[in-house]
Amino acid sequence: MLELDSLGARYGDFTFGPVDLTVGEEVLAVLGPSGSGKTTLLSTVAGLVGADGGTVSLDGRDLTGVPPEDRRTGVVFQDGALFPHMTARENVAYAATDPERVQELATLLEIPDVLDRRPRALSGGERQRVALARTLAADPDALLLDEPLSSLDAPIRRRLRLELHDLFASLDIPVVYVTHDQRTASALGDRIAVLHDGRVEQVGRSADVLERPATPFVARFTGSENVLDARVVEVGADRLLLDVGDGQLSTTADGREAGIDLGETLTISVHPARFELGRRSKGTDCSRNRLHGTVRRLVNEGDQYRVVVTTSDGNPDSDAPLAGAADAVELTATVPPTTVDRLALQVDDRVSLSVSADDVHLIG
Amino acid sequence: MASRAETARGPDWLAAATVLGALLLCYYVLPVLSLVASQPPETVISRLDDPSVVGAMGTSVAASTVSTAIGATFGIPLAYRLARSEGRRETLLTALVVLPLVLPPVVSGMVLLTVVGPNTLIGELAATAGLPLTRSFAGVVLAQTFVASPFIVVTAKAAFEGVDDQLEAASRSLGKSRATTIRRVTLPIAWPGVLAGVTLAFARAMGEFGATIMLAYYPRTMPVQIWVSFSTAGLSEAFPVAVILLVVAVVSLVVLNALGTNPLD
Repeated sequence: MLELDSLGARYGDFTFGPVDLTVGEEVLAVLGPSGSGKTTLLSTVAGLVGADGGTVSLDGRDLTGVPPEDRRTGVVFQDGALFPHMTARENVAYAATDPERVQELATLLEIPDVLDRRPRALSGGERQRVALARTLAADPDALLLDEPLSSLDAPIRRRLRLELHDLFASLDIPVVYVTHDQRTASALGDRIAVLHDGRVEQVGRSADVLERPATPFVARFTGSENVLDARVVEVGADRLLLDVGDGQLSTTADGREAGIDLGETLTISVHPARFELGRRSKGTDCSRNRLHGTVRRLVNEGDQYRVVVTTSDGNPDSDAPLAGAADAVELTATVPPTTVDRLALQVDDRVSLSVSADDVHLIG
Repeated sequence: MASRAETARGPDWLAAATVLGALLLCYYVLPVLSLVASQPPETVISRLDDPSVVGAMGTSVAASTVSTAIGATFGIPLAYRLARSEGRRETLLTALVVLPLVLPPVVSGMVLLTVVGPNTLIGELAATAGLPLTRSFAGVVLAQTFVASPFIVVTAKAAFEGVDDQLEAASRSLGKSRATTIRRVTLPIAWPGVLAGVTLAFARAMGEFGATIMLAYYPRTMPVQIWVSFSTAGLSEAFPVAVILLVVAVVSLVVLNALGTNPLD
């Protein structure tokens, strides 16, 4: 078990922490933008930079003041940091306590064919496999990874991500995986900690963090980019009705228990994938929340379309000009290409966006 | 040669660089070749019968080897320390290292005399202990070390700075001590640069004249011997000895580089 207790570090203007985290035999994905302190977190845990306060302990052992070589924290660096003057085999053997481990790890990480090559003759993916083998050869008590996939091409990254998932599960040690990529974090992390300006903004099970972001930052950074102000117009036992822009959405929440008052302004988030896009139609489907608007942008991202919609007043019969409407809000939906084809969607089309009340998340 | 298309687009900078570089190389090589060509081999070889020339050869090679070894022993660690720290203090210390390089060698000899000269405390103590620091082999070594060792520090520092410190971090997080990390990761990677510094220092020590003549006229090194031959019998007497110094220096440097595979690798 890896425990960070009020861990802090200072670099010039940047203050990291205090951070409290506990990592058991699981993968904790630390997700954050560049400059949020991800690498500082790993470096202080590994002892590569000194902490200015707080403690790190591993399996009950206080690591304060312990030099990196005695911490048993294995680090995999962003570009591998392989020793250029050694072959892949020598790199792994350098760390190995038992020579037989080299072959064993080479087989596990599928690198037996490249063992006699120097790092510069390895592809990016091979380099990271060798780096991982080298780190595991030292038999660490905790594994720390600093964006090891970020410089790889997308197909290799996806493949390696799958393999890492299985590998980590077989390790039975705390794994801290730092990344700025929400997909990698959710694919690999049993739990996710979102780092922002040197502090942990939210930590929890991956699905919880992604579906129930605690702050607008977490919402945006984990992909729930529709973060909106909403005014409470009706408080029910299991439902809140909210004014959003010039339309209305309801959300499943016990407003009375949460002490939410009529007229209060709340912040909500909706993940773009949770919107269903349709042609504007008369009549309402009561089971779905529906907002209306006009397509402003339509971006083909390959596997999906990103559709940016500005809301109108919610009246499907209205032809009133929408741009500049005082209360209009901009919403983003991601939809599969089939939807775009089916609706023959184009910019300036009037559309409706429906979302289940369960998917309207109340941030606070 | 510049193709027509390139010329049409503007000056051919690569060709210009080649021509300029070639001219400079000619300026280096031509005088050396002309010196060697001007001296009949018999004349040069006959000088090897002169005990003072042979003695000077021995003194030069031995003293240069010792001063280079001293420079490496103290200079490589200093280079590493300077490469791995940053800030104003490091800049100041680096300036101090460069100091002997910017002093005229004669002045270097003079400043050394004020510390180890016969009338100084250190000089007297050493002489009493039977190790005079002037007019002695030790004096030659002191002069050469002062003048030549900065080449090791400056060049090795640049070589160490070229080693990504993330590699050291990786090594240490793999359970290796700082000493093991330097021995097995940093030094092997920096080695070509370190060796270049050692080579430069050795060459500089072999050629050292100004500081040496201030500190130790005897035992004569090759450059001092050349000076003596020149001042007592003229240029025609000095030329053959210069050719011998040239050959000894070139052979020494070739040997140094051949032996220069990293002893720690």
